[in-house]
Amino acid sequence: MFYLTQMLGKPVVDAAGEVIGEISDIAIATGEVFPRVTSLAFLGPTKTPFMLSWRKYVDTLDGDRVVLNAERPALRFSYLQPDEVLLARDLLNKQIVDTQGMKVVRVNDLKLSESRGQLRLLGAEVGIRGILRGLHPMIERTAAALTGLLGRELSENLIAWNYMDLLDRDLSHVRLSVTHKRLHELHPADVADVLEQLGPTQRARVFEHLDNVQAAEAISELEDEYQADLIDDLGDQRASDILEEMDPDDAADIIGDLPYDKAEALLRLMGVNEARVIRSLLGYREKTAGGIMTPEVTTVTETMTVQEVIDYLRTGAAEHESIYYIYVVEADRRLEGVISLRDLVMSEPATPVVDLVEREVITVGPDDDQELVAETMSKYDLLALPVVDETGKLLGIVTVDDALDVMEEESAEDLAIATGSAHETGTLAGAWWLTLRRSAWAIIWAVALLGALALNAEYRTHMDAGAMAPALIAGIRYLTWAAVLLPIVLRVAEEVSSRTVAELIGGVDPEDRPTIGTRLLRESGLGIALGVASGALAFGYAYAVQQMQPLGVWQFALATSAAVLITVLVGSALAELAMRRSEADKRVSGTALAVVSMMIGAAVYLGIAYWAGTLLIAGA
Amino acid sequence: MTPSADTRRRLPFFALLAVIGPGVIAASAGNDAGGISTYSVAGAKYGYAMLWMMLAMTPSFMIVQEMAGRMGAVTGKGFSALIRERFGVRLTFGAMLMLLVSTAATTVAEFAGIAAAMEIFGVPRWVSVPIGAFVVWLLVVRGSYRRVEKVLLALSSVFIAYVIAAFLAGPDWLEVGRSFVVPQVIPDRVFIALAIGLTGTTIAPWMQFLLQSNIVDKGVTAKEWSLARWDTMVGAFVANLIACFIIITTATVLHPQGIEITGAEDAARALAPLAGPYAELLFSIGLLSASVLAAAVLPLTSAYAICEAFGWESGLDRSWAEAPLFNGLYTFVIVAAAAVVLLPGLDLIGIMLVSQVLNGMLLPFLLIFMMVIVNDRTVMGRHVNSALNNLLAWTTIVVVITLTAALLFMTLLGIG
Repeated sequence: MFYLTQMLGKPVVDAAGEVIGEISDIAIATGEVFPRVTSLAFLGPTKTPFMLSWRKYVDTLDGDRVVLNAERPALRFSYLQPDEVLLARDLLNKQIVDTQGMKVVRVNDLKLSESRGQLRLLGAEVGIRGILRGLHPMIERTAAALTGLLGRELSENLIAWNYMDLLDRDLSHVRLSVTHKRLHELHPADVADVLEQLGPTQRARVFEHLDNVQAAEAISELEDEYQADLIDDLGDQRASDILEEMDPDDAADIIGDLPYDKAEALLRLMGVNEARVIRSLLGYREKTAGGIMTPEVTTVTETMTVQEVIDYLRTGAAEHESIYYIYVVEADRRLEGVISLRDLVMSEPATPVVDLVEREVITVGPDDDQELVAETMSKYDLLALPVVDETGKLLGIVTVDDALDVMEEESAEDLAIATGSAHETGTLAGAWWLTLRRSAWAIIWAVALLGALALNAEYRTHMDAGAMAPALIAGIRYLTWAAVLLPIVLRVAEEVSSRTVAELIGGVDPEDRPTIGTRLLRESGLGIALGVASGALAFGYAYAVQQMQPLGVWQFALATSAAVLITVLVGSALAELAMRRSEADKRVSGTALAVVSMMIGAAVYLGIAYWAGTLLIAGA
Repeated sequence: MTPSADTRRRLPFFALLAVIGPGVIAASAGNDAGGISTYSVAGAKYGYAMLWMMLAMTPSFMIVQEMAGRMGAVTGKGFSALIRERFGVRLTFGAMLMLLVSTAATTVAEFAGIAAAMEIFGVPRWVSVPIGAFVVWLLVVRGSYRRVEKVLLALSSVFIAYVIAAFLAGPDWLEVGRSFVVPQVIPDRVFIALAIGLTGTTIAPWMQFLLQSNIVDKGVTAKEWSLARWDTMVGAFVANLIACFIIITTATVLHPQGIEITGAEDAARALAPLAGPYAELLFSIGLLSASVLAAAVLPLTSAYAICEAFGWESGLDRSWAEAPLFNGLYTFVIVAAAAVVLLPGLDLIGIMLVSQVLNGMLLPFLLIFMMVIVNDRTVMGRHVNSALNNLLAWTTIVVVITLTAALLFMTLLGIG
């Protein structure tokens, strides 16, 4: 086993035992999965670079040096061949694409191995181990020993040659082995994943190798935020060619995100028909059926026969996004009915379309919400859903892939509501809000406790001065107890609000949802039960902490019960408000809901406790 | 339409707007807490004596920034990636360690700036620093700092107030002019340290990383560079101009009264000719926003650079599980820097100065890396350095190394 970082700089010795230079690089032939080492590059005494054929001249290789089989004068130097790759120059320390793991990584070392007199490249090491070895082999060994002590292994992360794609050196003219998986051979969705990890310059370089069809597919798969950027960076001609290749609905999405001038320039460069289609789509609002539909629909008329329809599919509709349903229209494009591909294939060629057509077509309008569209498709198990205007004219279809995107988007939004990170994208941000939300009750509690302590300190000095009404003293004492027991109320508030959020996400149908009266009634039962339990707890606490007349303790317990009940009711009312907001399609933050409920609960509890205290003394 | 017709259609002015930003932002971010305190102390302690250094340093700064930007535009890669590809793991590790130390020290200075600014309002540092660290971390994690960046930049531009204050203070302009051109060296340790600090804060090493990655992010190419170059150079020039006015103002207002700057209130007093009783308010708003901005930018800059060098996953949209080292790095820098400032009995202005001296000491090493790369034809093609570039840059390197060596010697021998 050899590592390139350890070989570089080692002496090259000729047959006479004379040192003639030091290793500067190693070249491999690119044709195999584990490529053979073909040439040795070394620096002569005056830093002059030389290159030798490995097969002809290298006799032995060990950890310390390379021994040649000929003497210095007998060596015939060679040149780098176009299909050779230099390991140190082209690979070591460079960024490559791991086409198996779909990641952009940096090569920390290259691992070679000798078998039957052939030195071969095993792969590029991209893990931490390569970095440590590069620093010093001792560090690597120490780290390996340390992790070994912990019962773990400091693993190597090797990428074989056939799963590498070089970013800096263009290998497209080099004959690669059949198994070599280049970036542009990956699935467009995977290409998109890799592209998102690259900088603008490298992204552009990768794009040069993709043909327009591949580029169009890859762009469609990119996250929205990258799409417009990338098109913006490409030359106008190329950009418009690629957009033409895309499904019109995807192209319209991207063009809609571009600056006006750029968008106009691209549309002008396109074919007249493509541009017209995209312009018509740009008129629809985002997140509506019109915004996600494609106008490429396969339409036939009732007068055709099955054979004619099939012929038409082969010729006129070959490029359409979806041909699983064929729509039957009148001359003015009014939707009459639908035939499925299945019916078509199963029928005799001479059957007229009229006999097959299903006239009960499920449709949506262009302004319908995309969520409704997706739900409709899922409910009726449709692969495509026609969009018609109010006169029944067929405008386009929403295909199942767009519906799936919508569902993903909407579920992400729902998740965002739950964690309160409605405007965030990162999981980390989500986790952060979750943490804040989980610990919000502790923060409120701490603030309340600190406040109560401060009040107590304040009141003690006034007590000493004898300038304090007894009612006030009792009020502050109750308030302090309430501050201690505050978590009860806070937990109740959080519970109520999180139940609401669950209901929101669960997507309970508006019809099945309880009215505000029913909701409050239902919740007040729960509130009373919780209130009684909390009151008992408060009674126990007050009795244990303070030697007071039983009357006072009772009063405090009652105050606690009342506060819990009120918190439950206020929480439900807030929840109702949240529901209404979410129906009006405004953003609802679960965290905000929880925090607001908790703060109201806290204020109510502290307020009632204080009021009960002053009342008791005033009454006594 | 051919590509050439496309470029012709674009007015040069709009083309300039398209590339403007990275240079101005990077350079203004350099006038941070450490910078302001260093300039203030330099003015208050030595009057106009250090002005000539600013004049000497401005071309160097502009040229260093220009080189960093050019490398980004030509290669499309960050500075740390270029260091890694040119020098291998070992030297990269050293360079990244230096960058981490430099940014961490400067971040400490930023938190000291937050603490000092809030202490003017009577907020103790054990309240302001944790809250500040939390806010900064939030800015970074939630990625909204790109938006907040503009607000903070606008707020920290209150330091333009120094320009007005300088005129209101009515310095002896002849004397100021003379100090710009006649070099003065006071051979004591504080002066040398301040000179290194002045270099370190003006040409801070992290600024080159920041600028270059901004240029790369913006997708500026070698062709567009001729325009973006102006953005970079003008940004560098304006930032230094404001720095000069900070020195002139403090030198005119504070130096004759013999006020030594020991806290932010002293530094704020220099703005009295302009703002009178509101001087402290004006100063602390500027200091606070400059500090928060830099405290958010610095940890991110180092985290991005280090991850780029070692090929670790990075990006604010990556979770802790996906990019543990990236997230860990900036969180560590923020938390550690805030913790250092909370150590009891710490001299805030002192910390800010020391961090800049550290920056100055690390600068030559990173500049040497830069010089080798920017002169490498296989990397830069025909965009390698001109002879004038090389001359100025090497002069800067030699001067800073000499100063550092002088400081070390004087400290060791106990002179000054």
